Amino acid sequence: MSEQQQKLIDLIADMNEEEAIKLANSMLDSGYDPMKLLEHCRAGMDVVGKRFESGEYFLPELMLAGEMLTEISKKAKPLIQESQTGGAASTKGTVIIGTVHGDLHDIGKNIVTFMLDINGYKVIDLGIDVPVDTFIDSIKEHKPSVVGLSGFLTLAFDSMKETIEAIKAAGLRDDIKIMIGGGQVDDTIRDYTGADAFGLNAMSAVSLCSGWIKAAA
Amino acid sequence: MSIPNLAIIGDRINPGFKATRTMIEQRDFKGIQDLAKRQVQTGAIYLDVTIGPKGYEDYGLLSEVIQSIQAAVDTPLCFDYPHKNVLEACLKTYDPAKAGGRRPLINSLAETRWEIMDLMDIQPFNVILMASERLDEGAAKPNKRCEDVHKTAKRSAERLVKEHGLELNDIYIDVTVSTLVSDTEGLVRMALDAIESIGLDPDLKGIHIVGGLTNIGNMLPPVEFDGMKLRHVMESAFLTVAVPYGFDTVLGTPWNEFRMLPEDHVVLQTFREVIDLKGLDAMRRLRKLWANK
Repeated sequence: MSEQQQKLIDLIADMNEEEAIKLANSMLDSGYDPMKLLEHCRAGMDVVGKRFESGEYFLPELMLAGEMLTEISKKAKPLIQESQTGGAASTKGTVIIGTVHGDLHDIGKNIVTFMLDINGYKVIDLGIDVPVDTFIDSIKEHKPSVVGLSGFLTLAFDSMKETIEAIKAAGLRDDIKIMIGGGQVDDTIRDYTGADAFGLNAMSAVSLCSGWIKAAA
Repeated sequence: MSIPNLAIIGDRINPGFKATRTMIEQRDFKGIQDLAKRQVQTGAIYLDVTIGPKGYEDYGLLSEVIQSIQAAVDTPLCFDYPHKNVLEACLKTYDPAKAGGRRPLINSLAETRWEIMDLMDIQPFNVILMASERLDEGAAKPNKRCEDVHKTAKRSAERLVKEHGLELNDIYIDVTVSTLVSDTEGLVRMALDAIESIGLDPDLKGIHIVGGLTNIGNMLPPVEFDGMKLRHVMESAFLTVAVPYGFDTVLGTPWNEFRMLPEDHVVLQTFREVIDLKGLDAMRRLRKLWANK
């Protein structure tokens, strides 16, 4: 790995926002392969994710690192599309996400959507107060690998349970993994709702998806 | 408790606390009674009660918990379910005579679930009104602007007074305090503005303003300032700004130390600056608290 590549990774990992974006831009300007560049950004993001998991970083660092990635992608992605004829924009898999009906909270869901997106997943965000049927229709249409149900209020646990039962009744349950998150979720709630897993933060949503989708591949 | 006129609704009887969850799972009523007593001794004016999703299925257990708490303390209870059926079971069990005749409190009513008010037929109660959502032409909508929170609070309060015979000081407006560390939309600022504008409204004089403080410091790093965890100092920073506006009741843990911070306190200064920023600039400013520590 060249010194420049390592420097970009370090700048992202150490939260040097301005310098990271400046270096990425100058690398792209001098003809650096945009696909490779995004790979380095992912590597930087991985370091941030690890520091988050080890308790060295917190939510603001995750979001700021995500923002760096978004900024750099804005410049890199059109270059990739110019230079390649399709196939480049491959995603790791599709995730449908939404806040279950009866609950209008969206901050946590938006962060999870953002984190999954910058980690290479195609995310379909159904919004808040999502009726059971909307989840079913969307699963039929997009055939996701993972469905994420979000909710902050305690009444959301019932809506999650109802949504998962309806997915089962529609014969779609076996093809997907379901994760829940939002408020005070734990293994008891997971069991109550019938979900496969629960997540306490946006990084755990990313880890769950990567575990499941790798295992299926 | 070192903030005068700030009342506390004790929040410990909730399986979100691991020790409490174990007590509920093991039907340790003695443990729950001790927890109730400790909260009363440390100043709680109500005790919030929830046994989590179990409450939806096991009304028997919920009733036993309520009865055992009422056998131990004479503080009124606050029932923490947004569902009419569960609240009905709670109200059928609650005995006001054991609380010196004082009414229980419902946590919470919202415009979107007004059917809860039918339960006044069982026995009268006071209400926490969630003002963070409204009914708009039959559909539930989140309130993300100060005017909407204020209007929802006022509309509902008027209805509670006129149609259900409550007085304004029987009503607690819950403004919903957001998590600072993920607040890129300025919702904490919005909540403070709403507290201020409700507090200034002469038509709402006497109404209480309540909020859970756990959210505000959620997911902050475990660093300490003056020997106190950052999350608790942040709760105090919120109160330092909110109490003068009319925020008078905390849903929280009575033995946590809440205090007014001096104006030059670094956490208060950070709090004031962060809430006036939006998007990632708020995160950048907040992060300075620990990145340079």
